[in-house]
Amino acid sequence: MTDVVAVDGLVKSFGRTRALDGLDLHVAAGEVHGFLGPNGAGKSTTIRVLLGLLRSDEGAVRLLGGDPWADAVALHRRLAYVPGDVTLWPNLTGGESIDLLGRLRGGLDPARRDDLVARFELDPRVKGRAYSKGNRQKVALVAALAADVELLLMDEPTSGLDPLMEALFQEVVREAAAEGRTVLLSSHVLAQVEALAGRVTIIRSGRAVASGSLDELRGLTRTAVVAGVRDAAGARTALAGLAGVHHVTADDEHVTLDVEPDALDAVLAALPAHGVRSLVAHPPTLEDLFLREYSDELATLRVPEEQR
Amino acid sequence: MTTSVAPAPVPVVTAGRGVLVGWRGLLRLALRADRFRIVVWAVVVAWLVLASVRAFDSLYVDAAARQARAELIASPAATALAGPGFGLDDYTVGAMTANELGLWIMIPVAIMAVLAVTRHLRAPEEDGRSELVRSQPVGRDAPVVAGLVAAVVAVVAVGAATFVLLIATDLEPAGSAVLCAAVVVVGLVFAAVSAVAAQVAGSARGASALGLAAIGVTVVLRAVGDARGPRSTSVLTWLSPFGWSQATAPWVLDRWWPLLVGLAATVVLVGLAFALVARRDHGSGLLPARVGRAHGRLGTLVGLAWRRQRTSLVAWSVAIVLTALLVGAVAGSVAEFVESDSAIAELFPAGSSGAVASATAMYTAFLAVLAAACAGTVLGAARGEEDAGRVGHLLALPVSRTRWLVAQVGLAALVVVLTMLVAGLVMGVAADLSLGESGWVGELVGAAAVQSVGALAVLGVAVVVLGWAPRWYGVVWAYVAYTGVVTMFGAILPDGTDVLSPFAALPRLPAQPMHWPPVLMTLVLALLVSAAGAAAYRHRDLTA
Repeated sequence: MTDVVAVDGLVKSFGRTRALDGLDLHVAAGEVHGFLGPNGAGKSTTIRVLLGLLRSDEGAVRLLGGDPWADAVALHRRLAYVPGDVTLWPNLTGGESIDLLGRLRGGLDPARRDDLVARFELDPRVKGRAYSKGNRQKVALVAALAADVELLLMDEPTSGLDPLMEALFQEVVREAAAEGRTVLLSSHVLAQVEALAGRVTIIRSGRAVASGSLDELRGLTRTAVVAGVRDAAGARTALAGLAGVHHVTADDEHVTLDVEPDALDAVLAALPAHGVRSLVAHPPTLEDLFLREYSDELATLRVPEEQR
Repeated sequence: MTTSVAPAPVPVVTAGRGVLVGWRGLLRLALRADRFRIVVWAVVVAWLVLASVRAFDSLYVDAAARQARAELIASPAATALAGPGFGLDDYTVGAMTANELGLWIMIPVAIMAVLAVTRHLRAPEEDGRSELVRSQPVGRDAPVVAGLVAAVVAVVAVGAATFVLLIATDLEPAGSAVLCAAVVVVGLVFAAVSAVAAQVAGSARGASALGLAAIGVTVVLRAVGDARGPRSTSVLTWLSPFGWSQATAPWVLDRWWPLLVGLAATVVLVGLAFALVARRDHGSGLLPARVGRAHGRLGTLVGLAWRRQRTSLVAWSVAIVLTALLVGAVAGSVAEFVESDSAIAELFPAGSSGAVASATAMYTAFLAVLAAACAGTVLGAARGEEDAGRVGHLLALPVSRTRWLVAQVGLAALVVVLTMLVAGLVMGVAADLSLGESGWVGELVGAAAVQSVGALAVLGVAVVVLGWAPRWYGVVWAYVAYTGVVTMFGAILPDGTDVLSPFAALPRLPAQPMHWPPVLMTLVLALLVSAAGAAAYRHRDLTA
């Protein structure tokens, strides 16, 4: 399958600041791709390069098979964009803004537009200046989702939305994916990306530091195991000696440890000797994966290790 | 951790409820943001006043010439453009300065005061800045105090700079002091008006519009009042802050007491503003926000630009056309003035119609500079839309940069040309009526069409700045001001000063014959420069 977004070695500098420093990003057709990174990592800059709003300094960037800078207009007919910080025209109502954006695109599906307005519980008669952040976000979401496009570029699309709307957003993105659309979802709501994305790219200081499916990324990291045992102290001593086992701690009844994938068999074999009464093992969450890429930064932020 | 920290008791504010706390910090912030703006206003206004006084000195060399001018300016139509006519029987340079220049210092200062107050008092509420500020220990009234004091500082700076430069002329310092004080008081009144408007209007733009509308209405009140009752004897004059300040009659009567009316109005309006602050919510006005249409009909970029700017564009056009109407209406007085005095008639070899032609030609060029300024606001707004991120939103649609830019430039060009043609038509009709002749309509529509080419060239410069250096858009305003100065005062400035002004290259119809080459060359230059600006715009990063 061809990549809808293919970015290789992208560099973009603003004056002396190197916002993107050799970024690679590949999004396959039909997938929901999570694009993760903290504030200032370069997510928005990447998306603005993909939109042809910024010019790349170096590297190869292809979008839907075209050049995002040179073929901007033709490509934009096939994609829709939701910015993370929506500014609306202060003296236009939300409905007028949605319809204006739709007409400039060449038409929206009116039934879909009205359906989305109703589902997102947006009052379209309010002037742009009077909307809250969440409602401005809804205007941009409706305008983008009502468009008949192949690719949705979303840059922190749900900032300011309440949990109910967040759930609705996930539902709507699943619908879009089911229709075969490709979604590039930049976010730092990790639970949202975990729920929606098949593959993710984690970026740091303008470079991709990890990319792949969640399972692939999980395969690289440790499983947390908490076992309720009769002899916690004995279990701790025994398990701490195994290769690939880390952070073993024990209280009166439990032993807690992080296990590398290859060491899971050995751990499961060693536990029965200590009288297992309960066992919880959870694979790393996306949050764990993300924080692992940033563990050194957490250290400099002085976040204690047990909270990482 | 099981230890807990007991919250410290809230310190009791003994003086009032602390509604003023923090105003000094906000004032420092406002003055820091405005420091260049204030200096530029003060220097430009003061310098223009000085240049005008010098021009009066050199154009009206003796009492006879000034007296002839007094007769011209006494007509109702001229009174509407000038002042109440104190000292017309002994028309000294001072009387002339106060009568003919005073209003044109007061209006810009009033505009400056309105915009300064809205900028510091209301605009921050819309982008969320003031929410951050107000969550600090800052009182509700502090932004009002800071905004007002910042405006007062700007107004006083302009007044003081003007006074200093007037000292350098031969005019009596006492009269200079009265004039500058009168200008300052007008600024104070409109700063207070703007503070009230900021509480009433639903948005920052609405507040500015309300304040500027108050200036427009009171300018008209004064104009009608003075035309009906010379020397500030009409009631209508006394309903206008401009009327109060002009009633001081600098260099003629040097009256201070009319300024007390302005000061009293300022105190009342400021009190009203403070009373209203407590009655409105942050971010909204006392006028309720209305709901609008759920479905929009807007679907074009030009339509969007017009929708965003129609109030401002209509105001510019009306101001330009009204000025044209007054200029045309004065034509009859100009002709009488020339015919009444053989010595003056000798100055105009082409006779009274030659005098009318040179006056209308000069004013048509002046109106074209105003039209150019109007075009500058359209592209300035385009830059503001880009900074706000809304242009990025549009360009993420299948909308090319060229198409977006052409819509902005096209709207500006359309407004410039249409306004100038209507202004020429109106000036021509008014001139025909006041002179009892016919034939001026065609002459003046042609003159307006030629001068509008100059405004298009200025628009081209604005496109270049937007394309190459959007952060330096202030350069456009400097350029517009430059073309205005060399257009109005070209005769008294050193040769070559006007070499960069497109208006200087164009034939000044109807005083000069039509000459096609410079008109066509300026038009081609305007197109080339615009195209270069558009090319640059296509190749740069969006600012936001």
